Amino acid sequence: MILKKISQAVIEGDVEGVKEMANQGLEEGITPQQLLDDGVLAGMEVVGERFKNFDMYIPEVLKSARVMHTVMDILRPKLVSSDGGESSSSKGTVVLGTVEGDMHDIGKNLVSLMLEGAGFKVVDIGIDQSPKSFVEAVEKEKPQIVGMSALLTTTAPKIGETVEALKEAGVRDSVKIMAGGAVIDQAFVDENGVDAYGPSATAAMDIAQQFVNEVKQNAS
Amino acid sequence: MQVNQVHYSTPQFSVLSQDEREMIFKGALEVMERVGGRFFNEEALELFRNSDAQVTEDNLVKIPSWMTIQAINDAPNTITLCSRDGERNVHLGKNQVYFGTGSDCPFIYDRNSGERRRYTCEDVYNAARVVDSLPNLDFFMSLGLASDVPHDETYDRHQFFSMVRGTKKPLVVTAVDKEGLHDLYQMELLLTGSEDEFRLNPRFAVYIEPSSPLAHSNECLEKLLFCAENSIPAIYTPCPSAGATAPASIAGMLIQTLAESLQGLVLSHLKKPGMPFIMGGVVTIMDMKTSNYCYGAPEMSLASAALTDVSKYLDLPMFSTAGCSDARVLDEQAAIEAQISIETAFLSGASLVHDIGYLDSGLNGSLEMLVLCNEIIGMVKHLGKGITVDEDHLAADLIDQVGPGGNFLTTSHTFDHYKNEFFFPKLLDRHNVETWAAQGKNTIVDHVNKSLDQILSTYEPEPLPDGVEKKMKEIIEKADKKMEQKKG
Repeated sequence: MILKKISQAVIEGDVEGVKEMANQGLEEGITPQQLLDDGVLAGMEVVGERFKNFDMYIPEVLKSARVMHTVMDILRPKLVSSDGGESSSSKGTVVLGTVEGDMHDIGKNLVSLMLEGAGFKVVDIGIDQSPKSFVEAVEKEKPQIVGMSALLTTTAPKIGETVEALKEAGVRDSVKIMAGGAVIDQAFVDENGVDAYGPSATAAMDIAQQFVNEVKQNAS
Repeated sequence: MQVNQVHYSTPQFSVLSQDEREMIFKGALEVMERVGGRFFNEEALELFRNSDAQVTEDNLVKIPSWMTIQAINDAPNTITLCSRDGERNVHLGKNQVYFGTGSDCPFIYDRNSGERRRYTCEDVYNAARVVDSLPNLDFFMSLGLASDVPHDETYDRHQFFSMVRGTKKPLVVTAVDKEGLHDLYQMELLLTGSEDEFRLNPRFAVYIEPSSPLAHSNECLEKLLFCAENSIPAIYTPCPSAGATAPASIAGMLIQTLAESLQGLVLSHLKKPGMPFIMGGVVTIMDMKTSNYCYGAPEMSLASAALTDVSKYLDLPMFSTAGCSDARVLDEQAAIEAQISIETAFLSGASLVHDIGYLDSGLNGSLEMLVLCNEIIGMVKHLGKGITVDEDHLAADLIDQVGPGGNFLTTSHTFDHYKNEFFFPKLLDRHNVETWAAQGKNTIVDHVNKSLDQILSTYEPEPLPDGVEKKMKEIIEKADKKMEQKKG
């Protein structure tokens, strides 16, 4: 019952109400993992579907994401203590950034929110990031996926340069790389050694999902 | 004889009252004093430091209102742009409207294969020819972004070369950075003759875009300062999207946009008081389904018309937007969006109305769309003519003369007036269904394609004067060589 309520709170964007629900769930003895999976992420799944079908708009999705983060903040300490390590809920880690010389970040921020909503851990390194900073972030965070964004034709070549830098640092093969932005298309990513192109934030989410599925399949 | 008569002679259109215009302006002044803007250029910061503005360590500049008001008062309310021949045919100011293309779309549909592909110099040249040939387009921006160039960092010289080869009309140019703008200016001076001559009869204005909200990149400030130094008309036009890089309320977006544009004006005023400055703003919304920056939204037309009202209150020339669409191909949606925006921008009385020809939310520069919009502008300009109301035009005597059951077709009044009073379409099809069917059941898009084929296969622009091409190519080659060396 409380799980359903939490899902509903996520869908409706009820940031205040959900705190009480999460605590009530814990008191009732539901495990943090179950609250997360069957409450929060179940709700986010509905949000994702509705967004795709144009039944919800971006501001509502963002509000749902805030509800999710509110519950996560309550559950995080308990999730860590229960399995003795990092939360097992994360689907994988994504390092995201806008390439060097480019100050545009709306698209990247949307991708970040969509990915978080889908259960990824997102490390957003910000705008105007050099190939070197991408390499450093990959070495530090050990992500499964790197996402790059560029709005301008003059900055798009930095995506290729960043891929090269990752190769030189010997970490290229440890990650899948995706790219997006107004001037990016399939031909561009093919030419620049990028694994996939997403024309929208939802497409980026689907690609990331696909990437981790491939990794899992290869592992098993 | 009658007294106390008022004749409109043209339609009257506005979005904001005088009081509302003042509220928007005061809102912008408030933003400039209270919030400020970030300037990422050392010369700009130094100019502000030596003024009464406040500059803090993190490049944040706050400007007292009196400085802004002084800059506005010193700015010209009229700027004339000229053709390659020095014809003074674009007079920027209140309620005098000129239409032209936008710039730098990465994609075009190939006329032969229909495939979406990158723009080439040849495409830019063709766009220039099409604009040169169309009577309702008054100025030219590149429409596309030339991609078949040795270096992305020097594409602007190649693109400009294609532009000046294809049209004699006044231009609005884009440049990568200060060096790029310097080279375009040198190339243009080969045609204009001298800097003195350019100051009196400028061939082009420069498109410069700060980053909403309230940030001004190094490249954009370099270009603005270069324009001020050389008295080149500068268009300082932010591109906010309501709900993303500006408030979702249109009035909120307008005060922020105006603040961004006026921050540029104050800086240019510090460099050279009274330099030719054109305010602007592509003011639209972020679509809340797709996150796309919308080029066909009614909000864009409404907000642009309101900002134009404010520009008239400030008595500054205004750079507005129309004739563009979010439709991915030239279809009914493209026509609907183009018509709404062109009519609104025209009636609002903006000075330069750009982005004619954009499809695909500004990603596709369509020659077909140019031809369609030329027709729409013709229709809209006809609305702008209004109607003449006087004794001859009221024609009571004529109606009496013809009488009930008569006809007007054979009267000299009809012969004398129809050419002025009527609009004559070039593309719209008014044939009856039998003739229309016999001619191949053409739709408007068929007519557009035929007209475009005709232009592309026959229209020859006037070639550049002898020797100029060679000298322009030398400037381009020098820039490319320098870039090669820099890249090693």
